[in-house]
Amino acid sequence: MERRVFLQGVTLVGASAFVGCAPKEQASRTFKLGGKWESTLCQGCTSWCAVEAYVFDGRVVKVRGNAQSKGNHGYICPRPHLALQQQYDPDRVKVPLRRSNAQKERGVDPKFVPISWDEALEIIADKILELRAKGTPERFALFRGRYSHLNEILYKALPQIIGSPNSISHSSICAEAEKFASYYTEGDWDYSDFDLEHTRYILSWGVDPLASNRQVPHFINAWGRVRDRAKVTVIDPRLSATAAKADRWLSVIPGEDGALVSAIAHVILSEGLWYKPFVGDFVDGLSRFKEGERVDAALFEEKESYGVVAWWNEELLDKTPQWAFERCGIDAQSITDVAREFAHAAPRAISWVATGVSMQIRGAYNAMGAHALNGLVGSIDHEGGVVQTMKVPLNPTPDYKPYMDETAKAGVKHPIIDGRGSLALPALKKKSGGGVVTNHAAEGILKSDPYPIEVAIGYWNNYAFSCSGAERWEAALSKLPFFVHITTNIAETTQFADIVLPAAHSMFEKYAFVANKQNLHSYVHIQKPLVAPLFEAKADETEIPYLLAQKLAQKGFDALWRYYNEGFGGPFKDEKAFALAALRHYTQPLYSPKGAEAGDAIESFEALLKRGVWNAKRHPYGARLGHFKTATKKFEFYSETLRSVLEEHAIKHGVGVDGVMEATDYLARGERAFIPHYEPPLRFGDEKAYPLLFCEHRSRLNREARSANTPWYHAFKDVDPGDEAHEDVVKINPQTAKLYGIANMQTVRIESVHGSLTCKAKLFEGVRPGVLIKAYGQGHWAYGRHACADFGNAIARGGSNNHLYESHYERLSGSTVRHGGFMRVKITQVEV
Amino acid sequence: MARFGMVIDLHNCVGCGACDIACKTENNTPLGIDWSFHEIKTEGVFPHVRYEYIPKLCNHCEDAPCVAACPTGAMYINEAFGITEHDPDICIGCRACMVADPYNVIYFNEEQGHIEWGGTGTLVQGGTSSPKEIADAVGAPIPYMNAERGNNYAMIREKGIVEKCNFCSHITPFGHQPHCVVACPADARIFGDLDDPQSRISQTLRAHAHEVLLPEKGTKPKVFYIRSYGRG
Repeated sequence: MERRVFLQGVTLVGASAFVGCAPKEQASRTFKLGGKWESTLCQGCTSWCAVEAYVFDGRVVKVRGNAQSKGNHGYICPRPHLALQQQYDPDRVKVPLRRSNAQKERGVDPKFVPISWDEALEIIADKILELRAKGTPERFALFRGRYSHLNEILYKALPQIIGSPNSISHSSICAEAEKFASYYTEGDWDYSDFDLEHTRYILSWGVDPLASNRQVPHFINAWGRVRDRAKVTVIDPRLSATAAKADRWLSVIPGEDGALVSAIAHVILSEGLWYKPFVGDFVDGLSRFKEGERVDAALFEEKESYGVVAWWNEELLDKTPQWAFERCGIDAQSITDVAREFAHAAPRAISWVATGVSMQIRGAYNAMGAHALNGLVGSIDHEGGVVQTMKVPLNPTPDYKPYMDETAKAGVKHPIIDGRGSLALPALKKKSGGGVVTNHAAEGILKSDPYPIEVAIGYWNNYAFSCSGAERWEAALSKLPFFVHITTNIAETTQFADIVLPAAHSMFEKYAFVANKQNLHSYVHIQKPLVAPLFEAKADETEIPYLLAQKLAQKGFDALWRYYNEGFGGPFKDEKAFALAALRHYTQPLYSPKGAEAGDAIESFEALLKRGVWNAKRHPYGARLGHFKTATKKFEFYSETLRSVLEEHAIKHGVGVDGVMEATDYLARGERAFIPHYEPPLRFGDEKAYPLLFCEHRSRLNREARSANTPWYHAFKDVDPGDEAHEDVVKINPQTAKLYGIANMQTVRIESVHGSLTCKAKLFEGVRPGVLIKAYGQGHWAYGRHACADFGNAIARGGSNNHLYESHYERLSGSTVRHGGFMRVKITQVEV
Repeated sequence: MARFGMVIDLHNCVGCGACDIACKTENNTPLGIDWSFHEIKTEGVFPHVRYEYIPKLCNHCEDAPCVAACPTGAMYINEAFGITEHDPDICIGCRACMVADPYNVIYFNEEQGHIEWGGTGTLVQGGTSSPKEIADAVGAPIPYMNAERGNNYAMIREKGIVEKCNFCSHITPFGHQPHCVVACPADARIFGDLDDPQSRISQTLRAHAHEVLLPEKGTKPKVFYIRSYGRG
């Protein structure tokens, strides 16, 4: 047999073997050979990796990692591959649509009809101007889901110039409680980074980095080397992808992580294993941390940290491994072993905190405690330990204040509709009411509290699917007199829209950029249109607001139009030119001497676009020691920083800190409010009626629940340990299944006091008995033909966990709760 | 001349499935036909559970039973690269190869693959698209079709014939890596020339104890497995 030769540039009859499905003219057309790898970036999770797509004859056909990036260093996880089927999803919205059925309800056809962009913008502009004419511009709201770093053009400047304070982001349904932990111990409101290449121990608090958020490809790539030189313990009720490749799996009782944290800290201190160069030592070198005995703080000389004695006295002194075993279900010997191993690896030991341990009703202190373990072993800012973010030089959003007229200035003074900063929702992002309470915005809308929302725009979000108690959003969105949804697909949220605008796909159809970090490098990755947008799709954060501003100007309100043009160096030929100019504006320092000083030297904007990557220099070790951005400039076991913010919040509401604790579901009183401490988990449902605990995790194929309409998602769903291809399953231990008479792959109903879902039961030994565990991501009743069982009749494929959940909060951070088994459930067989 | 083979390092593999999905983008395989796939095993009783994920693909056996079984010569060894290839033009779809193959890595096209892209169903009339409309808009029968696959093999295989992994034979002879190797974030796949003692694959095989699947079948696979997936 002779091999046919591969020649660049030669055309060939491409689809001659393609019979029976495409039109004849397609089957016989020729395909130009020789594609080109072009840089862009993936936003399938928040790692935001640099990727390259192979562009061939005007189409994207495959993807790979961009080797220029020091973050994901040439690697990508499975998610970017799925993006091809998102890009070419047959269910994408083609053109602007207008609702012709006024009745807004799930299962009722909105009767969308196509309209032109001009008609759509006309209608939207009129609605906004009506609000301004009435002198009530605050009744406008902007809902943001996933975003790029161009977002402020739409998310911030547009509402402000119109006159609304209501920029509502999705952040608090994501992971604010995790950031709370690092802020109130080390002063950075951010996610941590981890020096995997030099670590000797990883203690993972429910983190599953081989599957989901964050830095997935970097962690996957490093994992083999990590296992060669470090020991890994994964604490998780589920045998996760990471637990399956760890040295030890501790299947904790959901919500009892705090007991484990305190017991580990107790062992480290009582056995004298803390890292003295970081924490300090007793002045005479004698260890006084003895079970049950308080210690005189004057005898301890502190170094880089603050308040270890207070932590011991107020919390740890009696938190023995045996005490913890009775709560968290992990035997005392294992707890002692883990504590010793972890401490012996100091300071190259990582206690890794993420959403599992933090997004619980009483999760803030769990997360603080788990993060504080890093302080005990001195791994903060140390080689092999936990580091923070390097600054990326970027230009700020041009000042929009000069473009705000009197109406706007009066409008933005109104309180935001999400209840942030109220006594029971402190949302303490650096100050009282400093953070968003995304999910509570639904209550604001439903109760018109403090005023009604009449016009809203949502983009790249799907609150009616992604928020706990999702049906509240259905009611809230139904109540909005006018709602615009900018989206690639007709999602659950879109079903309640009056106008639907087709969004360009982030990875292949628009200009944008993000800043993030992986592998001890901060970076900027660039997104760019590699192919022409399908049909009439436009970029959500740039092109659409620019066109809307133009329309508003035509109707006599030109502030936004002037701002976009003057602020970003216009006038511009069209909205595409504006998008490019906006990207150029923000990233300009990266191709200046400033950028070269902080990281890669890049000669021009064009070079940055082509390369798709700017890397900051590697994070240095130890730079923050002595300069932590906390009240004491030290790593705080006793958080003076939290104390001052809690006191500020208490004074604002005329109560004491104890009053704040009471209003925010915490049992701590007095000094314990300022230190990491154990709190028994709060759960919904009576144990007798709802005997099981429900837990969830992220699928390694989730593109934040936007990939459920791709056939490959379903075909490969079994890559989540315990899951099945083409199914949405709840994983149940076989012992538990036997107790309730549940057979493998049987259809079951799961019920909580809040709601129910139906899916299949998968018997899996990798689940703690008494716990049900299900991936988040399926259960769509809209979004498309593969995501739903029946799109037209709003019948879900599988079940959405968010219908089981109370919309409850970790109130101190404003985070929506998903974890810790906060919902008790029951399981029953369903006859099919 | 070369003798291509692959090593899969199970210690590095994290079971993410990127190889499987990437293979589909490179080779235009229809749904249900996965040249790169995996086998999953869960053993033990809570809490002593061992989970294992074993990537699988055509073993490109030295003594390939599928080649021996093929009555037309459609399944053949490409001696220049030591890979087992398939000629769709002379395949009669008898499936003798599938019966002979102990690894279940050969697939039969029961239906015309990708037929769904000819579909005209639309969720919102005039508002959303249909598969055919997307395919027409971008001018390819599968919008993300890799036309380069058609260089030395049917771009899409017809109903009634078989297909399987051929180590990305449209690119690997020219120095490129198979796309499953490129796509592996764990560096768990090492592809190269077994006849070149300096190649990374040869070095890896010298450095590690290695296994093949079903050695008792005497097929002499050229896909080797090193180290172990789970704990211990």
